[in-house]
Amino acid sequence: MSWLPFAHALVARQDLPVPAWLFAWGASIVLIVSFFALSVGWRTPRFERDRWRPLGAGLSRALLSPPAQIVYGLVGTFLLGLAIYAGLRGTEAPDRNFALTFLYVTAWLGFPLFSVVLGDVFRPFNPWRAVGRVAGGAFTALAGQRPAHLRYPEKLGRWPAAIGLIAVVWLEVVYGASGGVAVGLDPHAAAVAAIAYSVYTMAMMALFGVEQWCRTGEVFSVYFGMFGRLGCFGAKDGRLGVRRPFSAATSWATVPGSAAVVIASIATTSFDGAQEGAFKGALESTFEWLVDAGIGLTTSLRLTDTLFMALTFAGVALVYLAGVRGMAGVPGAPSFAKLRSGFAHTLIPIAFAYLVAHYFSLFVFQEQAQFTYLLSDPLGTGTTDLFGTASSGIDFQLLSANAIWYVQVGALVLGHVLGLTLAHDRAVAYWGDYREAARSQYWMLAVMVAFTCFGLYLLSVANG
Amino acid sequence: MTHPKKALTLLFALLAVAGLAACGSSESGTSTNGGGAESARSEETAKSGAMPAGTTIVVKNGEPVGGVQRLEYNAGEQIEFTVDSDVADEIHVHGYDLMKDVPAGGSVSFSFPAEIEGIFEAELEGRKEQIAEIRVNP
Repeated sequence: MSWLPFAHALVARQDLPVPAWLFAWGASIVLIVSFFALSVGWRTPRFERDRWRPLGAGLSRALLSPPAQIVYGLVGTFLLGLAIYAGLRGTEAPDRNFALTFLYVTAWLGFPLFSVVLGDVFRPFNPWRAVGRVAGGAFTALAGQRPAHLRYPEKLGRWPAAIGLIAVVWLEVVYGASGGVAVGLDPHAAAVAAIAYSVYTMAMMALFGVEQWCRTGEVFSVYFGMFGRLGCFGAKDGRLGVRRPFSAATSWATVPGSAAVVIASIATTSFDGAQEGAFKGALESTFEWLVDAGIGLTTSLRLTDTLFMALTFAGVALVYLAGVRGMAGVPGAPSFAKLRSGFAHTLIPIAFAYLVAHYFSLFVFQEQAQFTYLLSDPLGTGTTDLFGTASSGIDFQLLSANAIWYVQVGALVLGHVLGLTLAHDRAVAYWGDYREAARSQYWMLAVMVAFTCFGLYLLSVANG
Repeated sequence: MTHPKKALTLLFALLAVAGLAACGSSESGTSTNGGGAESARSEETAKSGAMPAGTTIVVKNGEPVGGVQRLEYNAGEQIEFTVDSDVADEIHVHGYDLMKDVPAGGSVSFSFPAEIEGIFEAELEGRKEQIAEIRVNP
C-alpha cells in the first residue's frame, strides 16, 4: 500500500504545484516587504478606532426593517432545508448533489469571501439564529415572559466555536474514508451532520440565549463573523454604517478562545493542503504502521488524519505563542495573556489568504456547478430541470494554471502585508513608544513570515 | 531603522529558511511516485512524444498494475493512452469528463487534446478505483 489517494468528494481537478521560481519570488517579496515594514512603520495607531459613520436613514431602515430580516431568515432557513433535503433524498454522487457543494463550497467559502469586503453578511441569513429568534418570540408570547437563560461561562469564550470549526473541516477532510481510501464525504452523511448540528445549536441557544450563543459558540456565526471584522459595513444600535476597513478586527479577539478560532482556521486549511503534498510521506508511514498494528483500514486512515490535523493545530498554535512569548520579553510589554489575545486578530488576514490559496480554483469551478445544474436539478436524480440548466457542465478552461498560481501567491503576500500592518498598529497602541513597538514586532514579523512561507511551501509541494 | 544589525540577522535567518524550503520543494517536484517501469515509460513518452500510440495501463483484478500511473503532458499536446482491463467497468477521465466502457478482458483507447491545465484522475467508475493521474502543465 504505497499509494494513498486523498480525494475530496468534489474535486474533479486539482491545482498544479506552484513552480519553484514563483515560490522563490513570493518568498523574496515577503521578506523584502517585511524588512521594509519594520523601518517605515507609523507612530500612532490607526485602526484602534473604527470611525463608524451611519449610512442614510432610509437605506438603513429598509435593509434592517423587521420584514427584511424575516426575508433574510427565510432565505437562510430555506437554503439549509434544501441542502438537508437534497442530502437525504438526492443522489449519493457528491458532485451531482446540491448538498455538498452548497454547504462546503458556496456557504463555507463564499461567506468568508463576501464578509472580508462587506462585513458580517452571514448574521442576517443565519438559519439557526432566525429559528431561534422565532422560537424565543413564540415563547414570550405564550408564556407571557421572556425565556430565562443560563449564564454563559465567560472562560469558555469562543472555544466551542473553535472546536466546532475543526469538526466541520474534519467531517469533510477526514471522515469520508472507506476501506483505507479517502472517498470524501457523501451527501447523506453531510445532511445527517447538518441535522445533528441544528439540534445541538437549538439546544445551546435555548440554554444560553440566541445572541450569546451566536457571539461565542455557534461555529458559523463566529467563523464568518471573524472575517466580517475586516469588512467595511457594520450595524450599530440598529443602524447600518460604514467603518474604516479592517478596523473592527482590532476589537474581535477580546473574547477568550478567539485566538483558537483563527489558529484552527489556519491549521485546518494547512492540513488539507499538506495532506496531498508536504505531509504525504509521514501520513503514509503512520497509516501503514497502524494497519500493521492490526487496526482496520478505515479506522487507521481516520486516526492518521485526525492525529496530523491535531499536530498541525498544535504547530500553528506554538508558532503564534512563541511569537507572543518573545514580545512579552520586550520592555514595557503588557502581560502574556493580554498579548496573546491582543494580537490574535492580526492572523485573520493570514487565515483568509490561506483559504484563497487553497480553495480559490475549487470555488470558481464549483460555483459554475452550483448556479447551473445543481440549481436546476438539486437532487441530481436527472428528473428535474427547474431552470433549464440541468445539463450544463463546469468550464475548467476558465482559469489557466498560471492565473491560479498568481492568485495563490498574491493572496498570501497581501495577507502577510495586512497581518503585519495590523500587528504593527496594535504594537504602537500597546507600547506607546514607537521604538519599543518596533522591537516587539521582530517577533510578530517572524511569526508572519513563518506562516506565509509555510503557506507558499505548501503550495509548491501540493500534489507532489 | 532602529536596530539595523538585529534586523539584518533576522533577514539572513529568514532567507536561509526560505532557501531550505525552496530546495525541499524543487526536490519533491522532480520525484516520482516510484510506480515502476510503466510509470517511467509513460513520462518519457509524454515528454518526447515519440510514441504516438501512448501508454497502456494494465488493470488486473480491478487494480492498476504497478500502482496509479502518472501521465504528464504540456498543454496543447495530445493525451493518448489505452486501458487493458480484466474486469468490465467504465473508465472516467475527470475534468475532461470523458467516459468509455471497457469489457472484461478487452481494451479501450483514449485520445484527446490536453486543453485543460491541472491534475486529473482517471478511474474505474464502478469500482471507484483510481488508475491514472494525468498532469497537464501550462
